[in-house]
Amino acid sequence: MSGMGTGRLLRRLLYPRWLRSGRVALGLLVVVAMLALALLAPALAPHDPAAQDLTLTLQPVRLGSAFPLGTDGLGRCVLSRLLHGARLALWVAVAAAFGAMLLGSALAYAGGYLGGRTDWLIGRTVDAWTLFPPVVLALILLVGLGAGSTHLVLAIILAEWPRVCRVLCCEVRKGMRRDHVAAARLLGFPHWRTLLLEVVPATVPRLLTLLALEMGSAVVMAAILGVIGLGVTPDQAAWGQMIADGRAVIHQAPANLLAPAAAIVITVAGFNLLGEGLRRTLEPRPVGGRQ
Amino acid sequence: MSLLVARGLTVAARVEGEAVPVFRGLNFALAPGRVLGLVGESGAGKSMVGRAVAQLLPPGFRISHGSMEFGGADLVTMPPAARRALLGRDIAFIPQQPLAALNPLQTVAALLDEHHRRLGVRGRRLLREYARAALAAVQLPDPAAMLARYPHQLAADQCQRLLVAMAFAGRPRLVVADEATAALDVIAQADVIALMRALQRASGAAMLFITRDLRLAAGLCDELAVMHAGDIVETGPAAQVLGAPRHPYTRCLQLAIPPMDGPRRALYALPEPMPGLRALARLPGCRFAPRCPVKADYCLRSEPPLAGGAHRSACLRPGLVPAIAAADALSPPPWRPAGQAPVLVLEGLCKSFTTGAWPRRGRVDAVRDVSLRVAPGEFVAVVGESGSGKSTLGRLVVGLERPDAGRIVLAGHDVGAGDAAARRYRVDHVQMVFQDPQAALNPRRRVAAIIAQALEAQGAKFAVRERRVRALLAEMGMPLELGVRSPAQLSGGQRQRVSIARALCSAPPLLVADDIMAGLDISVQAQLLLLLHRLRQDHDFALLFISRDLPVVRHLCDRVLVMHRGAIVEEGPTATVFGWPRHDCTRALLAAVPR
Repeated sequence: MSGMGTGRLLRRLLYPRWLRSGRVALGLLVVVAMLALALLAPALAPHDPAAQDLTLTLQPVRLGSAFPLGTDGLGRCVLSRLLHGARLALWVAVAAAFGAMLLGSALAYAGGYLGGRTDWLIGRTVDAWTLFPPVVLALILLVGLGAGSTHLVLAIILAEWPRVCRVLCCEVRKGMRRDHVAAARLLGFPHWRTLLLEVVPATVPRLLTLLALEMGSAVVMAAILGVIGLGVTPDQAAWGQMIADGRAVIHQAPANLLAPAAAIVITVAGFNLLGEGLRRTLEPRPVGGRQ
Repeated sequence: MSLLVARGLTVAARVEGEAVPVFRGLNFALAPGRVLGLVGESGAGKSMVGRAVAQLLPPGFRISHGSMEFGGADLVTMPPAARRALLGRDIAFIPQQPLAALNPLQTVAALLDEHHRRLGVRGRRLLREYARAALAAVQLPDPAAMLARYPHQLAADQCQRLLVAMAFAGRPRLVVADEATAALDVIAQADVIALMRALQRASGAAMLFITRDLRLAAGLCDELAVMHAGDIVETGPAAQVLGAPRHPYTRCLQLAIPPMDGPRRALYALPEPMPGLRALARLPGCRFAPRCPVKADYCLRSEPPLAGGAHRSACLRPGLVPAIAAADALSPPPWRPAGQAPVLVLEGLCKSFTTGAWPRRGRVDAVRDVSLRVAPGEFVAVVGESGSGKSTLGRLVVGLERPDAGRIVLAGHDVGAGDAAARRYRVDHVQMVFQDPQAALNPRRRVAAIIAQALEAQGAKFAVRERRVRALLAEMGMPLELGVRSPAQLSGGQRQRVSIARALCSAPPLLVADDIMAGLDISVQAQLLLLLHRLRQDHDFALLFISRDLPVVRHLCDRVLVMHRGAIVEEGPTATVFGWPRHDCTRALLAAVPR
């Protein structure tokens, strides 16, 4: 019977009920497709994303040609830059979402479980932190830290964790009020075991939902920071920078702006569909929902 | 001339794509000014009758056949607009959960005004007058303060009074009350019932009173209809139905309720729960037959009609009903040598809570200077109205709350400090059974794992745990295969058994049970009481039984403590306290028990 708790947890995570939802399936499809494109970018991209050809600048979109989505002002292949940009966007999305999740949920579990002063302190920290709009906060952090994808991830984590913490904290408090948690304490379970077996499982659906939504919002935040010229170093292909560059040549070669914008929209829509689908299938519906 | 006539009323539910009748061909009539009680266990379909009147059936349920005439017009075929015009005016509802039925964002004044405006009252002054009159009619004191409050600031019985006031405000011809007092404690319940009766008499409205409490129905209703598995099995004047039942189900229910006077007797526990909807659809013959003590072979083949004059019953062998009796006499508590050291001693225990936020912070003394002793093997009841501190006392004893002052001595050790050593000591010496078994069992673990939690915490080996789970399941009278189910797949009574089994797993000398019979059906309650009696014979544990149900306390416990505003105001052997109560609070509690 030992390890049955974790075994069941795993089975629940893999239980195909949440795959039955159309939202989840579509969201997963988009996300997995994006991931595949990103991973296979070096093989799929027709050109080196940094290779310039100043004789072929601002080529129009012509499918089947050497530059299917045209070229930018420096003669770089838009499609290749888009594919390599996906690598960065998804790496930032996954790393930042997991980072924000780790930091936020650790503090939420600590606050919700221990209650009292700890909960108060964490709650007020979240309050103070959320006084800054997350984008402005990330911007300030990035100016201080300097450019680079690791710094970008760190900035997004530090801007996003309070949201995760706040949402999850409510969930933990709600779970703590249930009598089976009290029963486990009375039966002599140590704190970590009570938390892991009695409190955490009930919050897993919310955690997964939040994770998917956080990934979407990390993509957006990275793009915003990219547009204003922060984030990664200029030699890296990033969707945000592509939008910033494309803005100047919108009349000559609109694909320079529209392609990265579309990529962002599709990716974020995928993550949001996945999150919303998970919320609907995993989380219990409100009681008494008649008609 | 009847006000409400149901003819062949059938409601069907969709269960996994299959249309299954919840009740079939229901016939009843309600005359103006009369009170009809619909009685039965949960799952009997009695609430669905009330909801069918209002067309408030849950999704997936619908009226498939039959008619329901109200004052000559059929509610089933009536256009929705006409039905809506009737509801709230001519047909009023008193719902089960008072707080859930009131908009939390509106004050009492706004709620009453909205309702009165719908009834056609216009003008600020007139509305205010009506609101005050409504509060006065249901004896809510201090109308000025009351009108300014929000529903969450009212006590449960005040909410229920408010809903009663709203129901009767429109001079309705029919009032449907669905378990209207189930959420209230004994005294408040008696008051609200008396109030409903008085208002019903004064207004001449007819009332459909839906309840699972046979005795409550007996005191209030003119006529009774006993429902089992979607059928009315017996109906007639209340005095006749309860005085000389002609259906075995009514008789069994009566025998399952512990009596308040006369000698303590064993309870009759109906075997098996009521069959589920899908099982019922396939059951030939009498639907009570699987649980019936006097069934014959032909009962399983033909369905008995509801036959008789004023007092009708659907039984082929009504002559055998009076012969049904509880199996054996109540076994006496096991003999114990006198002068054993008490298992629990409380001395001067105090606990107060702060309420509200900073500027209006207050203090409530939940438990005040409580001292008591519990001998090994003794069953001690703690009774009192809601808010008397009895639950807090239980939580203090098990260590879920820390006392502000006083000593808790558990089997010779002072555990009041609540430090790690005290917690470890408590694990083996006191356990708790919670009120709501659904919240008390982790929905993500299997029954077997839940029962063995105490051993799991000690790090016991799999074989040891498995043996213990087998033994405990057998003792709880539950089949072994339930061990692999999850709590959601169990019935309410089974869940409470699992909760008891988990508490008994480490064989503690003291068990604290916090209102564990609340919300259970009569037959399930009887089974649990039987179980507790049996466990007492086999195991060696004392019980601190916190309860609001005095008949159950009388049936189960040796000694009773009466709490009032956090203090123990009376204590003594159950028979003495119930027979010769000395404190006013005890008298009020006893007077409120429906008989």
